[in-house]
Amino acid sequence: MKRRTITDITRVEGHGGISVDIKDGKILDIKVNVYEGPRLVEQLVVGKSPRDVLNIVPRICGICSLSHRYAALLALEKALGVKVPKATEMARNLMLIGEILQSHVLHLYFLALPDFLGYGSSIDLIDNHEDLIMLSLGLKSFGYRMNQVLSGRMVHGENPVLGGFGLFPERSALLELKEKSQEFIAMVQSTIELFASFEFPVTYDKEITFMCLNPTDGEYAYLGDSVVVSDGTEWGIDDYKEYVKEYVVPYSSAKRAKYKGKPFTVGALARINLLGERLTGEAGRYYKSLYSNNWKANPLFTNLAQAIEVLHCLESVPKLVDRIIKLKEPGIVEAELDSGASVGAVEAPRGTLYHYYEIENGLVRSCDVVTPTAQNLDDIEKSLKIAGEQLISLDSMDKLESTLEMITRAYDPCISCSAHLIRINYTDKDS
Amino acid sequence: MLNKKRIGIYSFTGCSGEQLVILECGKYLLKLYEVVDIVGFPMAQSKNTIMDLDIALLEGSITTESQLAELKEIRDSAKTLVALGTCACYGGIQSMKLGEGDWKKRFQEVYGADDKLYNKMKPMESKPCNEFVTIDYYIPGCPMDKGQFLHTISHIINDTPPHLYPFPVCTECKWKENDCLLNRGELCLGPLTRGGCGAVCPSHNIPCVGCWGPAEVTNMPSEYKLLLEKGYSQIEIFRNFRKFGGTPMVEKLKNMMEKLR
Repeated sequence: MKRRTITDITRVEGHGGISVDIKDGKILDIKVNVYEGPRLVEQLVVGKSPRDVLNIVPRICGICSLSHRYAALLALEKALGVKVPKATEMARNLMLIGEILQSHVLHLYFLALPDFLGYGSSIDLIDNHEDLIMLSLGLKSFGYRMNQVLSGRMVHGENPVLGGFGLFPERSALLELKEKSQEFIAMVQSTIELFASFEFPVTYDKEITFMCLNPTDGEYAYLGDSVVVSDGTEWGIDDYKEYVKEYVVPYSSAKRAKYKGKPFTVGALARINLLGERLTGEAGRYYKSLYSNNWKANPLFTNLAQAIEVLHCLESVPKLVDRIIKLKEPGIVEAELDSGASVGAVEAPRGTLYHYYEIENGLVRSCDVVTPTAQNLDDIEKSLKIAGEQLISLDSMDKLESTLEMITRAYDPCISCSAHLIRINYTDKDS
Repeated sequence: MLNKKRIGIYSFTGCSGEQLVILECGKYLLKLYEVVDIVGFPMAQSKNTIMDLDIALLEGSITTESQLAELKEIRDSAKTLVALGTCACYGGIQSMKLGEGDWKKRFQEVYGADDKLYNKMKPMESKPCNEFVTIDYYIPGCPMDKGQFLHTISHIINDTPPHLYPFPVCTECKWKENDCLLNRGELCLGPLTRGGCGAVCPSHNIPCVGCWGPAEVTNMPSEYKLLLEKGYSQIEIFRNFRKFGGTPMVEKLKNMMEKLR
């Protein structure tokens, strides 16, 4: 048996590899190995105050630190009886939109695009695609500017605190975001068209099981109290442990999850498949003209789904800003309780993110975090196997490897976040 | 420049925040790619090596045996080693319980009691890079500041020593003429924390959380006594000192308690 190992998947966030077992020209197995160093974050927050939690958990991930902060805020505030005013809620939603924008732009232009255009890095694109590079740099800076206005800085801003904002974003800064987003709306449409023009090296015919939060207001948004699944079921986020069943595999240090014993996918492609009909404006127009049944089966459509979401996020900025500036500037709502337990969930750039905290006398007793990449890992392996079987007849092992990397990358795995939060369920509790 | 310097960016355990800051350098990053050879940057490019480096930029703390081996290889290969961010410089949040013991137990509570993964991963409690190799320059931050990074790297590329930032957050806060949060009774770590962030949290009415790591010269006993007077418990104060304090804070706390005895 021959084993090909892609030791380090490049152009992803974190450290992971893929191992492919081949015997007599057939794929025996493909595994995704994650070898992130341990940080034990869920252990670090035990015995800490809610304020400490908000300093610590965003550090799980530099890309989606605000999603972690938001999910933790929702859980902690619900547990401690804090109800924030509408303006606070909307400013936080604007913050989440900024993060999704920034994260998708990083993935689309810097991590994924070189695959489709045949380059080793996005920097190499500068000679032949300068306009694309300049657009991506501008968009990314705009995403970070949103992070800065709402959270205080580019990465790991501490401004969103329990009950509100340390300093509520200034009206002039919000209006600046509104104006700038409108400039980009016209510019990103060429990117959607570019990603729509790419041909995929692999075909898929089996429908993927998708899952995302169901926004209560009927809009295409990133928050909700229930989870909608492509099999038609819907359940409240408080029950996440029943539906998102976590387990571990011996060959990798990242936790996995199954839904009804099967792999599933979260993230931009899940959201577009489940909520795409709700898209309005230019994003809605692109959805209607580009969406097909193939999106239900091929994970490589994640890139295009993200490109549509970039446009949707940009189109959401002026609407949200207009609503926020009409409202009275909110203060910070103090916690009424010092004990309680609750779940908080947001749609992070890569999919549904759950945080759970149990607080007793003002200190954390237990914590559970389920990240999107942990939920996607099984489906990543599944789609790699399907691709491997189609590509094994190719003479070129390099082509096989590069395609497997490309598919892995399409999921936009945030390997560092998936691996830092692992807990094994003991099956032999009596021993 | 006749011979372009060979630079590599390598990541250990952390949140990848420093690589993100480098990617966000925009036109300066494009310029950097012009004036040096970036031969290692796994988050941005497919081809990467650690061979024959002039400058290695390190992100993250060391938490496994294989990371330690890689760090030593990079030290052997590189003329200059620069630690980027609080994790690489001081150990990061994952070092906040250093010295408390029970590390293996905490590992098992998260990863399970089965030794298979432990034996395969060969993990260790998080420590900063300078616990194992000599580090030439430090750019702390959580994440580091873009301006400080560009300043430091430009100096190193041009063989002139970079100017470091010795003052605490408190100094920057005074420059901004912010109302003092300690005076308001908040548990603010500004006097103890390395500056460079522009006192971003106090400028948002939020006490400094210490995320840039401990400043070298501080009056820690005075801050400690002040916080006790304000009604904070020793446990709470130490918990905050240690949150981002890493290895230097272990030593500083020990010294302080000896002095106060």
